Amino acid sequence: MAKNKEYTTVAADGTVLVHMAPKKTMKLSLTQRKALAGWLLVLPFVLGLVLVYGPLLFYSIISIFWGIKVEQSGIVYDRTVGFDHIRWAFEGDKYFLEALYNGFMDLLIQVPAIIIFSLFMAIILNQKMRGRAAFRAIFFLPVILSIGIIDSIDTSAALSMNAIAGGIDDGTSAMEGGSSFVSMMDLNMLFENVQIGGSFLSIASELVNSIFDVVSRSGVQMLIFLSGLQSISPAIYESCQIDGASAWETFWKVTLPMISPMILVNSIYTLIDAFTASGNGVISHIFQDIGTEDNPTILKIVDEDGNTIVRHLSANSLSTTEMWIYVLFIAILVVVVALLMKAFVFYQKRD
Amino acid sequence: MDAPKVTKESKNKIRVDFERAPLWERIKGKYFSMRFLKGTVYVLFRFILLLGVSFVILYPYISKIADSFKDFYDFQDITVVYISKNPSFQQYATIITENHYFHAMLNTFLISASTALIQTLVCALIGYGLAKFKFRGRGVIFAIVIITMMLPQDLLRLPMQNVFWRFDDTHPIGMFVKWVSGDPDLSIKFGVNSLTGFIPHYILSITGFGFRNGLFIFLLRQFFTGVPDELEESAYMDGCTTFRTFFQIIIPLAIPMLITVFIFSFSWQWTDDFYINTFWLSDFWTSEDSIPLLSSGNFANKVPDSLFSFFGQIHSTKDTGWDAYVGAIGGTTTILIALPLIIAFVFLQGKIVQGIERSGIVG
Repeated sequence: MAKNKEYTTVAADGTVLVHMAPKKTMKLSLTQRKALAGWLLVLPFVLGLVLVYGPLLFYSIISIFWGIKVEQSGIVYDRTVGFDHIRWAFEGDKYFLEALYNGFMDLLIQVPAIIIFSLFMAIILNQKMRGRAAFRAIFFLPVILSIGIIDSIDTSAALSMNAIAGGIDDGTSAMEGGSSFVSMMDLNMLFENVQIGGSFLSIASELVNSIFDVVSRSGVQMLIFLSGLQSISPAIYESCQIDGASAWETFWKVTLPMISPMILVNSIYTLIDAFTASGNGVISHIFQDIGTEDNPTILKIVDEDGNTIVRHLSANSLSTTEMWIYVLFIAILVVVVALLMKAFVFYQKRD
Repeated sequence: MDAPKVTKESKNKIRVDFERAPLWERIKGKYFSMRFLKGTVYVLFRFILLLGVSFVILYPYISKIADSFKDFYDFQDITVVYISKNPSFQQYATIITENHYFHAMLNTFLISASTALIQTLVCALIGYGLAKFKFRGRGVIFAIVIITMMLPQDLLRLPMQNVFWRFDDTHPIGMFVKWVSGDPDLSIKFGVNSLTGFIPHYILSITGFGFRNGLFIFLLRQFFTGVPDELEESAYMDGCTTFRTFFQIIIPLAIPMLITVFIFSFSWQWTDDFYINTFWLSDFWTSEDSIPLLSSGNFANKVPDSLFSFFGQIHSTKDTGWDAYVGAIGGTTTILIALPLIIAFVFLQGKIVQGIERSGIVG
């Protein structure tokens, strides 16, 4: 080990003082050291990105352009596909565009329904009352329970229930699957005398029937709204009261603007949640309807000479391709929603 | 009314006597006002609404619980709606014994608790790094975190099986393990469809790419952004290293948020069937030596043998009520899967709200 440098000084009275030079350390400025620490903290994520997630994404994206076939020997790539998968999604697949359209319409109805419902419930659950803790617990139950295996058991049970009910409605099975609380008949009767168009009727019946869906999927949104409501200073409400504002005015002039950033967050969260859910119509189309006898994975191409070329494509690659198209579609939707809502969002200035 | 009469009783005690309004007057003043009526109607309305929505939420569980005590004949009997005519614990008993409930629960608990712990810690570290340190590429990494939140997991199912199939020469991790062990012929046995199939879970968790880990990183980053810098600065002044500051100053502050993340991670892993079905193919669960998990095919989707064979002899599966009966068995399985979670949730739900309240998603 190298000795530290010594240097001597002579004091006024003639004694010799021996000083040790300070140890040399790595010369890094504070900013550099903090940057290094930051990198160390996110290192697992970066490693995972390079070693695990990157390859996953790579394989996923590559299968848009390469056919993937799983064989005994392993996975075989067909590199002559080009853009045929994308062409098949739009031209060959009988149901994809329809599923996409239906999925979009579902989102259009359900996202506002979930937002309004969760805001309403959050406002009520934020009030002081007896049994609030119990109600909150019940409302958040679906967050941890309506997911994964429980959800899939329920879905399969509901499917088999619908299969048995098969047209004959004995009244007991109406609520059995948890899927339809009110039949179309009841609503028809309800709206018969009210002169409202049929499209409204179908929206209404869809909303009523998907009420369980809406309720069970607004748990996280309710949490986010609750936290937003609790961050509004009570002083603002006090001054409203002093100025004589009614509850209605207070809601529109204070609560809503103050909560508007949460509405933006929640809209995006709901969009993403609805679209990544496995029970989603488009995703179930992608995993169930591709490569069936009804919807074969064959693309017919007419070349310049007028000959028809029939290409057999891999169902796995096709589903990945359609999934990516769907991801792009939703990404555009998220951006549009975010931009639209940005105009209405009110940010409280902080000092 | 007379003015109240004040008498001094002792040095520091006075007595005030005043005439109270008669009882009838008091009742009239309190209860016969528009304000009281409005308040009562509102409270009643609110209570009924909350009760109704709670019913909608709880209905599936109520009907499952009702069905779980029924036997096969109750499903053939049209007069039975909720209450069984001959209630029994048969469904519970057979599922618990024949599908190895406690074994499955122990396994699920071990995997859920371990992955939840790893994920909470790793996401906290990453979130802290993203929140409090300025370094090149921070924006890019945060953007990638957001993107991982947006990609549906189904998109990566095939690539996951592909990448995790075998960690052999074709994968950097396999190469690394071989290089460390120094044995060129080492065949690495973990990967998809083997008993060591948990390792992909751990690899994903350690790197912060587990189920919805993007959300956890985001939540924790928002929380840490709200922690004042002065706390850490004073720790640095006292000579703390970055990691000591994190573990001694930041972690204790973040406990409610960490509990929230832990609960989410734990319960989502508890009921996870996506990763289970990705890393183990369905034929794996039919073999005898496969470990049962609560969400695996050999627990969750299995009708206990004795129920199946007993009724299979006298009835065909085409009989009325058979599908409903199988559905009820599925419901009973669901109750058994959810029960430990519900019990934990009842004790911890206050913490969840508290954690989110302090998360700083608020703005």
